[in-house]
Amino acid sequence: MISDRLKKVILRELHQDDFPLTDQTLASEVPGWDSLNHVRILAAIEKEFAIRFKTLEVLRLKNVGELQALVDKKTAPR
Amino acid sequence: MLSSIVHFSPEERLGDRWRRHADASPQAVAVTHWVAGSEPMRWTWGDLLRGADNVAGWLTAQGVRPGQVCAIILRHHPWFYPVYLGISLSGALPAVLAYPNARTHPDKFRQGLEGMARRSGLDWVLSERELEPIVRDLVLSRGSTIQGLLFPLEIDVATQTRSYPHLSPMAPAESPCLLQHSSGTTGLQKAVVLSHRAVLGHIDRYQRAIGLTADDKIVSWLPLYHDMGLIAAFHLALACGIPLIQLDPFEWVQAPVLFLEAAAHEGATLAWLPNFAYHLMAERIHEDDLEGLRFDRMRMLINCSEPVRAEAHEKFLRRFGSYGFRAETLAACYAMAETTFAVTQTTPCRPAPQLTVDRAELARGYVRPIQPGPQSRVCVSSGVPIADCAVRVVNDVGEDLPDDQVGELIIRSASMFDGYRNYPEKTAEVLKDGWYHSGDYGFRHCGEYYVIGRKKDLIIVAGKNIYPEDIEDAANGVPGVIPGRVVAFGVDDPELGTQQVAVVLESEHYGKPEAAEVRQGVVMMGMDIGITISEVYIVPPRWLIKSSAGKPSRRANRERVLNELKSQE
Repeated sequence: MISDRLKKVILRELHQDDFPLTDQTLASEVPGWDSLNHVRILAAIEKEFAIRFKTLEVLRLKNVGELQALVDKKTAPR
Repeated sequence: MLSSIVHFSPEERLGDRWRRHADASPQAVAVTHWVAGSEPMRWTWGDLLRGADNVAGWLTAQGVRPGQVCAIILRHHPWFYPVYLGISLSGALPAVLAYPNARTHPDKFRQGLEGMARRSGLDWVLSERELEPIVRDLVLSRGSTIQGLLFPLEIDVATQTRSYPHLSPMAPAESPCLLQHSSGTTGLQKAVVLSHRAVLGHIDRYQRAIGLTADDKIVSWLPLYHDMGLIAAFHLALACGIPLIQLDPFEWVQAPVLFLEAAAHEGATLAWLPNFAYHLMAERIHEDDLEGLRFDRMRMLINCSEPVRAEAHEKFLRRFGSYGFRAETLAACYAMAETTFAVTQTTPCRPAPQLTVDRAELARGYVRPIQPGPQSRVCVSSGVPIADCAVRVVNDVGEDLPDDQVGELIIRSASMFDGYRNYPEKTAEVLKDGWYHSGDYGFRHCGEYYVIGRKKDLIIVAGKNIYPEDIEDAANGVPGVIPGRVVAFGVDDPELGTQQVAVVLESEHYGKPEAAEVRQGVVMMGMDIGITISEVYIVPPRWLIKSSAGKPSRRANRERVLNELKSQE
């Protein structure tokens, strides 16, 4: 399940009003989500959630669900 | 360690040169294949040539003949190098093509490849099994020039020992050795064929311009279907016998720090980068990623393939200056596939000269240095012509302009191409009396050349050339778009130091709810052809300004959109 907050950040960076994002959605299925916008999206997520992604974490992401899971893991109270 | 940079002999072929390195230093590392999160794979010269010989034998056994073109469509893979070299050793011509990204529609990819195969004259496609369903039909289709589809990653490149039929003797140095394409979009690729002598001669002239030594090491994430990645990084390293550290472009763009990690760990001294890469690295790389990394050995980062912007260099230096990058590390080059690679290069050990000029005067075509301020623009030099290369600045009727006046840059070079393959009409447009008309605008100041923009309407996104015609043609087919009433153009993206693609189109749905579908349709069409369209402006019928030829004018409509529509956002 993709949170509204994450969805909002992604769509804002892509200049999209709405687009259905599910756990299985691939970046390549979303209009405008190319490699350069991917960089913008990750930067925007880091800022929004005050988190930091590591290189290998970024490279292992397969779909939006995994991105959500990574954000959840990083924002979970310790 | 090889003792000195090899010297050029006009009778030499690429294969002769590679064998010379392999015989002299079989244990020296030729290529380091870098992959995030795993140990790099290192090809010694001895192993690389053995692998390449195996590939050459296998190709010959498959029916590949000297002079044929072998298109390579592979992802970042450690066997790419012996495959590339093996094609060359078999006497065939390697042509590296872009691997389709996940956004490209398979049909569009196939159509692009089909057009390219016909136009460029591709004989074989060497690819991965995963692409077989897409590419197979192409081989079987009537009238296809492609004779077969081969899967080189399925042979045991490194240890294959079976004997193959005797290889054909290598063709002389003036015969073609590779095919590279001059632009990034699918339909309108123009192929440039280069001879062994042209490539080795150019590398010899260019290595002198950058003061190459046996201690240099090149690090590159650049794709090898682009002249900067193929000639400057890959062929230069192999021809001169200096180590190359090759990264995956797909990995780099997601994690730009990989480039700096590889550069620091391997002690790299040279790299070529498009302008946007300086911005991307300065913005995306965090302080703690840099822990323990030093770049004191790096002597030149060469900005090339997009107009060089002062801001990119300043931003990069501000961010990474304390890690060993210096102002004189930041060099620049002006290059194109039509001249094999380089035309001009800034002087090593000296920062790329900058000139602060009056922006309004520059727009009128005159260079007037002023103090920095709101009216000024900083131009960065791309250097002076390399050996055996001449550059002129000419006006619209081909007359030479003096220093400090803006005109089109035209070039004569010992490394000039003979013409686009199977495209005489395009060749005639750009090659006149031995001078290549670049379509780039620039000026000369104190002997240095400054490139400031494009005469043609080419859009350059992250170093990739995009022809607006490709987008306009495709957009014509989107429901709701009035055919022929579409204009695509580039808009500067100051944040990343590159351009974004914008489209303005006339539609009967202007102002209605259906306009949202038209917008979405155009964006999706862009995805199909592998182009990200950042802005779509829908306007009512007869809004677009027409040129004297009756077609919508790109330049005039771009101005109108930026002044009237973008300012309202």
